[in-house]
Formats: sequence, C-alpha cells, structure tokens
Amino acid sequence: MAEEYVLAREIIRDHEARMMNIKKYYPYFRLAEVDFFSFQGGKYGALDMGYILMAVLRFFIEENSFKEKDVTYDEYELFMRDIYKRDFELNLSSGEEKEISAYIFDIIRNDGKPFIYEYFEPVKKRRQTIRMRIIDSRIKNDIICYFITSDAIEFYLDTKEIKDESAISIAQVLLSKMIENRNFKGGTEVIKRINSEVSRLKIKKNDVLAVMGEDIVEGVKAYEEFVNTGVRWFDEEQKSFQKNMELIREALSKAEGDGGHETALQDIYELETELKKAIVKHRELLDACISLQRMADELISGAKFSRLRRSFDFTDALRLAMERDNAAALFSLLSPLLTLNIKKTFNLTSIDRLLTMPVLKEEKGEEIGETEEQEYVYEDELEEERIEENFEFIIINLLEAVLREKSIKLSMFIEGMRENYGDRILRNSDFYTLLIHMCGKNEYIVEKALEKPETFFEEYMARAVQREGTDKYSGLSFRVGNLEGEEINIPLAARISDVVIERTV
Amino acid sequence: MTDKSLDKALDIVSILINGGEIRKDGGSGGLYEEYAKAAEVYDIVNIIMKKLNINIYEYNYGLYITGGEGNRVFGYTNEELRKEIGVKLNRELYMCYFIMYTVMTRFYKAGNISTFTEYIKAEDVIRGTDSLLSHVLEDLKTVFSSDIEEGSFKELALTWEDMPMVITEENALRANRTSKAGFVKLTLNFMVSQGLLLEADGRYYPRDRFKALMENYYDRYKGRLYEILRGGEEDATDK
Repeated sequence: MAEEYVLAREIIRDHEARMMNIKKYYPYFRLAEVDFFSFQGGKYGALDMGYILMAVLRFFIEENSFKEKDVTYDEYELFMRDIYKRDFELNLSSGEEKEISAYIFDIIRNDGKPFIYEYFEPVKKRRQTIRMRIIDSRIKNDIICYFITSDAIEFYLDTKEIKDESAISIAQVLLSKMIENRNFKGGTEVIKRINSEVSRLKIKKNDVLAVMGEDIVEGVKAYEEFVNTGVRWFDEEQKSFQKNMELIREALSKAEGDGGHETALQDIYELETELKKAIVKHRELLDACISLQRMADELISGAKFSRLRRSFDFTDALRLAMERDNAAALFSLLSPLLTLNIKKTFNLTSIDRLLTMPVLKEEKGEEIGETEEQEYVYEDELEEERIEENFEFIIINLLEAVLREKSIKLSMFIEGMRENYGDRILRNSDFYTLLIHMCGKNEYIVEKALEKPETFFEEYMARAVQREGTDKYSGLSFRVGNLEGEEINIPLAARISDVVIERTV
Repeated sequence: MTDKSLDKALDIVSILINGGEIRKDGGSGGLYEEYAKAAEVYDIVNIIMKKLNINIYEYNYGLYITGGEGNRVFGYTNEELRKEIGVKLNRELYMCYFIMYTVMTRFYKAGNISTFTEYIKAEDVIRGTDSLLSHVLEDLKTVFSSDIEEGSFKELALTWEDMPMVITEENALRANRTSKAGFVKLTLNFMVSQGLLLEADGRYYPRDRFKALMENYYDRYKGRLYEILRGGEEDATDK
C-alpha cells in the first residue's frame, strides 16, 4: 500500500516540478528545428539555428551580466556579422546580413511572444501552460534594449560545465536576475549550486596536489588548468558576491518597507543566510588555493632541484631491495627513523646463567695460557719494503745497462725498461724518486758504496749488489753527466731532463 | 671552550639522548636558542653527536636525532624490535618494516620530494601495501611453497595475501597480528610511539621528527644506502 502511495505521489505530485524543470529546454528544441532552406529560396541554408541560438545567448550573457549593460539591436547585428563570416564562411552583402539577422532575431524572440508549452497537470486534472522567453526587451532612454531572461541563463548553464569560464560567476549572474525578479526561492537553489561548485573546486584542488605529488609534469598541467578555470575568476566572483549581497539587502529593505508578505520575507532571509554561507565557503576556497599555490611552487622548485641533484628515490630503493629479494634489507631504510634504543636489557639466558652460577668454595686465580707474541707490520713498514724492492730492482737493471754500454743516455735506459717491463714501469713513482736520488752525486764507485755508502742511492745500490750475491758489479764505477737542454717526454707522466751515464771502469 | 658552553651542550645532548624534545616553542626553548645562536654550543653538540655516531637535524625550529648507520650502542636488534612492535616472528617483523615503508612513500616520493599528503588513514596504508606488493603477488600465482625462502619478499607477500582484511567487523581497526587491518594498526601504533606520526580520529599526520629525518637523512646517506641495497654490507642486526 505504502509503495503504491509513493509511486502515485512521484507520478502525480512531482509532475509539475519536472515540467517546470523541463521548460527551459523547450525553446531550444523548437528553435533548432527552424529550417533556413524555406527562407528566401534557401540562400541562407548553410546556417544552423541551434548553433546560432547558443552563440546569441552567450553574447547576451557577456553583455548583460559581465559588462552589466543592455544590448541594442545594432550591437546584436554587429555580433551576428562575425558569426556568418567566421563560423559559416558566408560572404553576405550588408543588405543580406540585415535581412537574415532580423529574421533570426524575430525567431529567437518568437515575434515578441513567449514560447508556450502545454502539459497535463495531474493534480488539478487539466492542461497547464508554461510560458517562457529567451530574450526580453525594455525601453531605456527612449531606446529599445534587449536582455537575456533568467530562464535562458539557467538553460545555458545547464548545457555544459563551463570550463573556460567561472561557473560560480555565471551562477551569480543568474542569482542577480532571480533577485531582481523577486524569485528568492529560486535564488536559494542557485546558491546551493554555487556551494556545490565551491566544494567541487576544493576537491579538485586536492586532486591537483595528488597528481603533482605523483608526476610533476602532469601536475603542472593540472595546476595550470585549475588556475585558468577556477582561481583567475576569484576577484570577479568576490565582486559578484558583494553585488548580490547588496541586492538582497535592497530587496529586504524594500519588502520590509512595503510591509511585505511574511513568506516572501522568510524567503529573503533564507537567501541571505545561504549567501553568507556561500561567501564564507568561497573565502575558504580562496585560502586553500593560496596554499595550493605555495605548495605547487615548492614542488616545482623541488623537482627542478632534484634534476640537478639526484635525490634518494624511495620507489627505486624498494625495487632494488625486491630484486635482491631480501626483506631484511628494509631495516637499513627504516632504522634512521627509529628513536635511540636507550632501554638496555639483559638477555634472559644470561640472567638465567647468573642465577644458576655455582658458587665456588675457594677463589681461583685467572688462568692465563701460553700466548705467542704477535708481530705487527705497520703501514710505513709495508711502504718501505715496497720502495726497497723497487729501488733494488731498478738499480740492478741500471748496473746491467752500464755494464753493457760504455755510455748510455737516461732516455735510452727508460725506453729499454719500458720495452722489457711495459708501460707500468713509467707509472711507478719509485722509479722517478730513484732517478732524483741518482742525480744527487756525479760519480759512483760500487766498491766504495759497498764499504761505506754515503747517499741514499749508494745505500740501496750496496743492498742490491749484496742481495744479487755476484761479484760482477763490484769493480764497476760510473759518472752521471748533465745533458744541457735535452728533455725526455714521458707519455703518461711528465717531462724530465735527460742525463748521460758513462762507465768509467 | 667555556664551562658554560660545555654545560649547555651537555644539557642538549642529554635531553635528546633520553628521548626528550628540544623545540623553540617547547619547554626547552632556551636550549634551542643556545644551539641556534651560540656557535660554541653548536660545535660542541655536533662533535659529541658525531663521536657517539648520532645524526642531529634541525627542522622547523626543533632538534631531532637518529642513530648513525651501524650504531651498535643505540641501535635495535631484531629481538628488541619484535618486542617493541608486538610481533613474534621475523617474517611478521619484516611485514611491519614493509608497512612502515609504505607509510613513508605515502608522504615522500624521494628524499626531497614531499607528496604534500596532509594525513593518511589505515585504509590508505592497506591499499598502498597491496599496490607495492602487487607484482610480487603476481609472480606468486605459480610458485611452489618450497621455493619460498625465509626473509624473502615472496614470503612477505604470502604473509600479507593470506591474511583476512579484518577479523571481526566490530573490532576492524584494532591492532593484531592476524588481519591486514590489524597489522597496519600495529605498525601505525609503533610509528606513533616512535614520535613519527600523530593520530587524530583515525587520521595519521606526520610529525616534525618524521619530516626532519625524511628530508635530511636519506639524501645525505643515499650512496651508502644504495650500496647496502645493491648487496653491500647490511646493517641488519640479529646476526
């Protein structure tokens, strides 16, 4: 029974509200059917009434609501001229333009009569008529001016979520119309729509931030779109709010002055309260947008910075840990976040051992087993060993060369070493150190060096000869002579002065 | 070095090591001023912290510390962490690590890139964990249980996958070790106790300590961290 009641109620009682909602679409569908082929032999057949109607509505909104002025017929004609040329690519003479513009204007204005839509009203069980106009006229300073009706604005707003315009501004225009027409109930509905738009923008702001967090390039695009469709209209919206508030105040004082109907006053109060709420919400949105701007700037500069300086990427780090398939590695990533562990506890087994430890009857001394003394080799000892080995090796090679040749240039000796032992020898710093030591004295006598070495070089020469354990070098002596201006270019090192080594015995 | 500076510096070190807070607007505001304005105090604190292998960070007019890499004195063993979090097995502990990591990635994409997420809820963390484990779970569709190694991500993913979302609807968001929601709650509770998050009506907000460490530690030590992740020496504890 109850279900049937609900059903009947929905069908019968709500029918009128549905029809009232539909009415705003009615003129469009009627006008869209207009066929230009039947006018003037079809020479304007390329035109499309549906498109023209939407363009004219938008033009009227711009003029009436944004610029706050009525439209004269001449202005309308001027606007239409662009439509023919730009959108339909029709090159019309001025007479033709006037002719078709007048024809269209009459159709849109329905020859000055309202569009009439009839429907069956089930409560009163009779046919009802709805009237609506798109463009209305009034006389101002002896000139006929035209303006868009609130129904037409509502229709235009309903056709699309206006992306490149502020939906809030346009809804406010509608609100102004409604207040002017004393449709306060309808105004409250419009404010609710403004509120939902404000909430939508708030959600959108969070979405933009989320996209920015994920992908900065996409985020910047979303942010720019958000700024273009939402933020840049703020000033205008604020002004409209103030204007509507003024209008409400005026309406209120007028209604109170006229000793207006209580229901009407109630409606105005409600409208005022709703508008106040909307203003507060709008201000909150503005604050949120300012903080979004700040965060966006930070994110963008952070992203720019991270391009220059690679940051620790958490996703990348997890991928690496997963590749190794070692979940314990995560600890390294988390441990920096943990507080210091200052609770020090004993292992339970240690406590157990402490408790069960048998008490000895007499104290035993600590047993110290035999220990072997360990020998440590220090870093500098290792270095010294290396130097000695290298020096002795080079010296033996040098003595061999001196034995072979009566006179040998250093450059030849170096070349010989490189041939025998490869480029590595040229990268050995000990090699060059030894050469410097060698040039510290002009003449070397191996025998004397063995008896009493006077220089570093002699010391190492003596050790090298002794280690070789052969007498073949003992009678050897040689002189180191300067070769003025001759230099040796060593590919991987530097340039050194050339010298000549001459065997004297 | 004056005795006064040393005294102030030791006060700062002592408060921080004992888990106290030093913030400009907190009870120890005076000490913060000393640290920020007296160069000698700043130097002494930093030297002491360095010698103790503790990292100190300044963030939003507050001082925060964390144990340096491989700090054996102030670090945790797995056993200590299990006890602290309230889990019994190592795989449960790793699960908590993973959930903590999920929380970190909800707030930060990289060391210096915050997502500006204001707060997270337990359900966000569950979804995040699902998504981070998704491709491991994909691989698990055709795997023999004997192939699953202990301490591997596969084991971790199976632990997660095998858990119901909640045990009972009434106690959906109570910490436990038997449901996804319970596990997440357990981990979030631990993070709250560590001073990383702040809970309000089921929403978890990052605290300054969390932000300070996230924004400073990882970028500074990224070389070492990557080395560990690529198979270098690990900082794992129970060995």
